[in-house]
Amino acid sequence: MSESSASASMMHPTQTNGSPVAAGVSAKETTVPVIRKHHLLVRWSHWLNVPILLGLILSGMSIYWASPVYQHNPDPSTGNVDYVADIGTWICAHVPGLHHYSSPPDWIYNHMSLGPYLLANALRLHWFFAYLFMLNGLVYILGLALSGDWRALLPRLTDLRDAAKVQLYYVGKPFAVLLRRTWLHPRFTTKYNALQRLAYFSMPVAACLSIATGWSIHKPMQLHWLVAIFGGYNAARMWHFWLMWLFILFVVPHVILVFTDGWDTLRSMIAGWSARVHGSEGFEDER
Amino acid sequence: MSADENDSQVKQEPEELPSASKRSRPLPKAGRLFQEQTPKIFEAAPRDLRRLTRRDLLVFGAGSLAALASFRYLLPQDTLARLGVDALDSPRKERFLNGALRFDDDVAEAIYSSDRLVPTYSKSQITPLKNNYEGVTPDPSYIPGWRLHLEGLASGLSLSLDLPTLLARFRSHEQITRFVCVEGWSAIAWWSGLKFADLLQAYPPISQARWAGVNSSLNLDENGNPDPYYASLDLATARHPQTLLATHFNGQSLTVDHGAPLRLLVPVKLGLKNVKAVTKITYTVDEPSDYWAERGYSHYDGI
Repeated sequence: MSESSASASMMHPTQTNGSPVAAGVSAKETTVPVIRKHHLLVRWSHWLNVPILLGLILSGMSIYWASPVYQHNPDPSTGNVDYVADIGTWICAHVPGLHHYSSPPDWIYNHMSLGPYLLANALRLHWFFAYLFMLNGLVYILGLALSGDWRALLPRLTDLRDAAKVQLYYVGKPFAVLLRRTWLHPRFTTKYNALQRLAYFSMPVAACLSIATGWSIHKPMQLHWLVAIFGGYNAARMWHFWLMWLFILFVVPHVILVFTDGWDTLRSMIAGWSARVHGSEGFEDER
Repeated sequence: MSADENDSQVKQEPEELPSASKRSRPLPKAGRLFQEQTPKIFEAAPRDLRRLTRRDLLVFGAGSLAALASFRYLLPQDTLARLGVDALDSPRKERFLNGALRFDDDVAEAIYSSDRLVPTYSKSQITPLKNNYEGVTPDPSYIPGWRLHLEGLASGLSLSLDLPTLLARFRSHEQITRFVCVEGWSAIAWWSGLKFADLLQAYPPISQARWAGVNSSLNLDENGNPDPYYASLDLATARHPQTLLATHFNGQSLTVDHGAPLRLLVPVKLGLKNVKAVTKITYTVDEPSDYWAERGYSHYDGI
């Protein structure tokens, strides 16, 4: 919606000679200004991450099943030691419609992994996707380097305070809509707002940590110095496990916010450009 | 229309984008390198934009379908069955995934160094080591008649050695190292035994040999029937100074649980290469068969 209003205004003849690039183009009513957003390699690596991370999580949880790093003393009646299996049992006991699930301890593994008893398959797939993930990371870095967009990702000193403001906006927005109040997005003049910047910057950092902890679990003897950095073999496994949850925790609001923000934002990651040249409605005024 | 657009029109300064004006202050050179750049703005005909968007969406859709197809191709049959999808089970798929495994093995072999010692621990750091025999643990009655057979020797002979001979002939070494299972668990244990390198020196293999096939004919399946176990071990790893033919565990003679009277202890490999109750070692030029590699696991298993 804001996209269409912006493009409509851009077609005004007084605006066309305004943009520096347009000066070379003969002014016609039929052109609209668009802003370059994401490099081709960044877009490709972004979307390739979807199947790659899905493959890594599914196979990774199947590997986790074989010997969970979080274990308690054996349950006297079932002999189970796995907290993740306990969560599955709890879900099947409390969620309506799941009371007759055939194997409650496997519920999580049946829904978040390739399934139990598939260790050999899971290991092969995990290595396959892990090498793709590392290659894809290089493609991403190359795209950031070629476009110079890495600068837009660098956190600033003011980011923590500004990110809190954006977070407050997101929390208050649903209530503002319900109460029909105006609720303006904090103003920013950079490519990303402070909260986006922290979130997007944390992802390549988490990816590097996932790769490093992954290698330290995979080659704990040849890379024992790396294992030591993460505090030992089991600690590295715990890091690797929680980093997976960090990706999942990122993806959920990421997807929700993209769909809330609209087609222009989604399209910018597919086609690389945006029609929101001057920001959009619902933003705080410049002061 | 947003407020700042109105402002710029009123002020007759349409070339000053609000985002650009904030960045027009001169900065020191180092600061400029890290400074976010003003985004590039292009003029384009809506018709061209529609055409490019259509093209990119088609590529995106094709890519999504390709990703779905490759998941259907790559995922295990059991997983697809649960999703209600028919699996495409072709030998090409197995070859492809084993290719990924081989690639990873080559990486593991490339980062292996025979001088890199694995970390050792103190006695206070020892943790329990479970008996991970897949099948039934053999009855200890085999121990008195046990012998180690050596084949593929440079002498052309087949040797058969008993435990007292081995203990008398070779110096015993001890080490407290971590034992890592392919399943993910690990344990710190105190082992002692002879160095595989010493055995190789005393009874040299044929000159072209690159592999040792380490067998146990004593292994049993879950019903107690014989299920010989065999692992391939590259001689570069066999010669590693911490690769032992262990006879003692935590200061005591090995028990059947841990592969009495002699087991392979190779801390730079996953546990599944650490063959219990070794009965025969055969030196070969080509890679010998490996029990778990035949069941979809890696061949090299270097960690």
